[in-house]
Amino acid sequence: MGAVFFQQLANGLVNGMGYVLIAVGLTLVFGVLRIVNFAHGEFYMLGSFATFFAMSLLGVHYIVAVLMATVVVAGVGVLANQVLFRPLRREHEFTILMVSLGLSLVLANGGELVFGADPKYISSPFADDAVELGSVFLTWQRIIVLVAASVLICLVYLFIRFTRMGKMMQATAQNREGAALSGVNIDWVHTYTFALACGLAAAAGALLGPTAVIFPTIGEWAVLKAFIVVVMGGLGSMGGAVAGGLILGIVEALGANYISIAFKDAIGYGIVVAVLLWRPAGLFAPRQ
Amino acid sequence: MTEPLLQVNGLTRVFGGLVAADAVDFSVLDGEVVGLIGPNGAGKTTVFNMIAGSLAPTSGSLRFRGEDYVGTPAHRMAQRGIARTFQITSLFPTLSVLDNVKLGTHRHKKTGWWGATVFSAAYRREEQEVDDKANAVLGFLGLSDKGARIAQNLAYGDQRRLEIAIALAAEPVLLLLDEPAAGMNPDEARRLTETIGRIRDTGVSVLLVEHHMRVVMGICDRIIVLNQGNKIAEGTPAVVANDPTVVSVYLGRGATGA
Amino acid sequence: MRRFVFPRAAAAGVAMLLLVPLAAVGSYFQHLLVMWMLFALMAVSLNIIVGYLGELSFGHAAFFGLGAYTSGMLTVFGGVPFWLCLIAAPLVSGAFGLAIGYASLRIKGPQFAILTLGFGAILHSVFLNWVDFTNGPLGITKISPPRIPLLGLEISGGIPYYYLVLFFLLVSAYLCRSLMRSRTGRAFIAVRENDMLATSLGIDVFRYKLLGFVAATMMVGVAGCLYAHYLKVITPGLFTLHYMAPMVIMVIIGGKGTVTGPIVGSLVYVALLEVLRASGSMRMLVFAVLLTLSVIFLPGGLVSLLPFWRGQRGGARQHD
Repeated sequence: MGAVFFQQLANGLVNGMGYVLIAVGLTLVFGVLRIVNFAHGEFYMLGSFATFFAMSLLGVHYIVAVLMATVVVAGVGVLANQVLFRPLRREHEFTILMVSLGLSLVLANGGELVFGADPKYISSPFADDAVELGSVFLTWQRIIVLVAASVLICLVYLFIRFTRMGKMMQATAQNREGAALSGVNIDWVHTYTFALACGLAAAAGALLGPTAVIFPTIGEWAVLKAFIVVVMGGLGSMGGAVAGGLILGIVEALGANYISIAFKDAIGYGIVVAVLLWRPAGLFAPRQ
Repeated sequence: MTEPLLQVNGLTRVFGGLVAADAVDFSVLDGEVVGLIGPNGAGKTTVFNMIAGSLAPTSGSLRFRGEDYVGTPAHRMAQRGIARTFQITSLFPTLSVLDNVKLGTHRHKKTGWWGATVFSAAYRREEQEVDDKANAVLGFLGLSDKGARIAQNLAYGDQRRLEIAIALAAEPVLLLLDEPAAGMNPDEARRLTETIGRIRDTGVSVLLVEHHMRVVMGICDRIIVLNQGNKIAEGTPAVVANDPTVVSVYLGRGATGA
Repeated sequence: MRRFVFPRAAAAGVAMLLLVPLAAVGSYFQHLLVMWMLFALMAVSLNIIVGYLGELSFGHAAFFGLGAYTSGMLTVFGGVPFWLCLIAAPLVSGAFGLAIGYASLRIKGPQFAILTLGFGAILHSVFLNWVDFTNGPLGITKISPPRIPLLGLEISGGIPYYYLVLFFLLVSAYLCRSLMRSRTGRAFIAVRENDMLATSLGIDVFRYKLLGFVAATMMVGVAGCLYAHYLKVITPGLFTLHYMAPMVIMVIIGGKGTVTGPIVGSLVYVALLEVLRASGSMRMLVFAVLLTLSVIFLPGGLVSLLPFWRGQRGGARQHD
């Protein structure tokens, strides 16, 4: 009994860190730009596919492909911001929400048309061998997910906390007008934030891709997980995203095992519904 | 009626460590205009919001028409006859001026979706009454010629008048005005003073929070002066203007908008 | 005194809807017309929440699914006649709407969207996985078409079904119109435009939002019932974004806050199905591009282009 528990706990931890990696970008974009980006999941999807094509078309090693995918998709994110969100920044938030929904559908359906709807496999060299830690089995890929995600989150935290751009991002998130008045270049901050957010989502896609199959509409799954995490933790809160992601991952894994595997997704939604009804602003949002 | 329209007793509000309002007592009688003044940070807005029902008191009592109402939801207080305006211009921006005012009549009417669907006599009658009332109120405030304009396109002064029109359409017994003269030029301020007087003449009591001294002195029957959460003076404009405590704390420091 | 006015434009629109099937040649075209009517009814119901109340509910498809499944299951498992299902479906979807609305409507903004999305996804998961009750992914099949009681005639096939759904669409459209001409509709707009001000005027914001939400879920429950008895097969896919996203887009492209807007938007969606018969992805791609263009350049939707409709918004002017 104990072995199964620890296995599920480990699975939950890995899944959870994956969710955190996807969600952090979404919460950053909301915190700094005040945009709810429905298309966030599509950047995850693009990260997976960029990795796939880098390996299959360019023949590079998986790790190189991951890095390439992260950078390229971060660039796509910057482009999306420049072309769509920046010109519309004075519009009503409903308009921007709808535009992000439109972008999401365009990317997902465009992906189906261009990449084909059939599922693909990213053949990572780490996906096959497993490691035994006590009673817990984890493939090297899942360990990499755990480690890489943790490292990336720490780096992002340090970046935001200690670098100049990071502090400008914080200032913009707290008070955009004030930041602008003190000389912060808001456009630059937005660009950086988008690049960071989409890059993280892409990295998540590249890292999690080999653990299952990838298909062009996977963005829908990714963004829903991200929304659950972000809303649970509080929109704009990085710490909340970390906590929310881990909670979601662990509760899902344990719930799938002890309650029912079929209702696994419902558990996630059940948690977010329960949290929202109890604390509408999220678990870690500042109390009004 | 022996009981005052509005009775405020021991009204207190504490935010964390700060006592924003400290055991404030006063009353508003039928058909009078009462001004609530004080320097910045005196607690006027806090007291005002507690009376309006949008902020819960830490302690103290509020009685309207003889009934305690602390804890009653804001929309219920509106249904009982308290109407208010807001410090920051608050309208229905994309609706026309006329439609804005029509919305004010909500509390007095009863028909709804069913009446409109079956086109009942009651529905037709009420809709006519709503039309008539809205037009009358617009006339009262001198906005008749602007009925079809979209609210967000009005000049600032007209928007402030529209806010009062909307509140009046609700036929309140007590009208709470939150800095109605803010940002007004002397002409508009004079017009506002005269309008408040006419409102009082229709039997509506008014409680206003205001910085603009000319307006306050010009129209208030009584003035309550707050400073740092405490009431420091109360009386007619003449009495208050000559009260040495008031003068030293507030008027002496150079009144705004004289 | 207000007279009952039926504007010429609306009369022309209704006449057009009544006569369109005469031009429909072939069963495929007739099928498209029925789908248009069904989507139009769905979109008109969603418009009550998105357009009149100004709330973004992402769970609306789930209420559609509830209506469809209530009707399908009653018919197939219980032999209940169509006309009773037509009453049961909105009662069930409305009851869920009341419960979910009651829990969710005090919450605003993106959290409300996620909350309704979450409830919808939970319902989807239940209908997908509770195989003993709902048949799971296979769905409910062989739903029998409606029968007219005394005549014993079936309503199946394009033209008759078109008129059946059109009837409910016209009733719903009329109800929406009378709503927006009533004090209740005024309150909806007040809640949408400035809920703080609305409260200060005595409007119970929560109660009105709940009223609109339940009305909308009942209406879409009827749509679900009609859908089930036309297509004769229903699956849990009805609960998903696959139906939800097009619904939202139809309302916005057509013109939110109007009655004709959703009808026009659903026409565009169905027309794209015909024009771009290539694939579902292509159609959604084009639809999504139209959504983006519409929100940016034509916020009032397509109906704002039609001159005699310009005054008919349930927004800027309260009545025609």
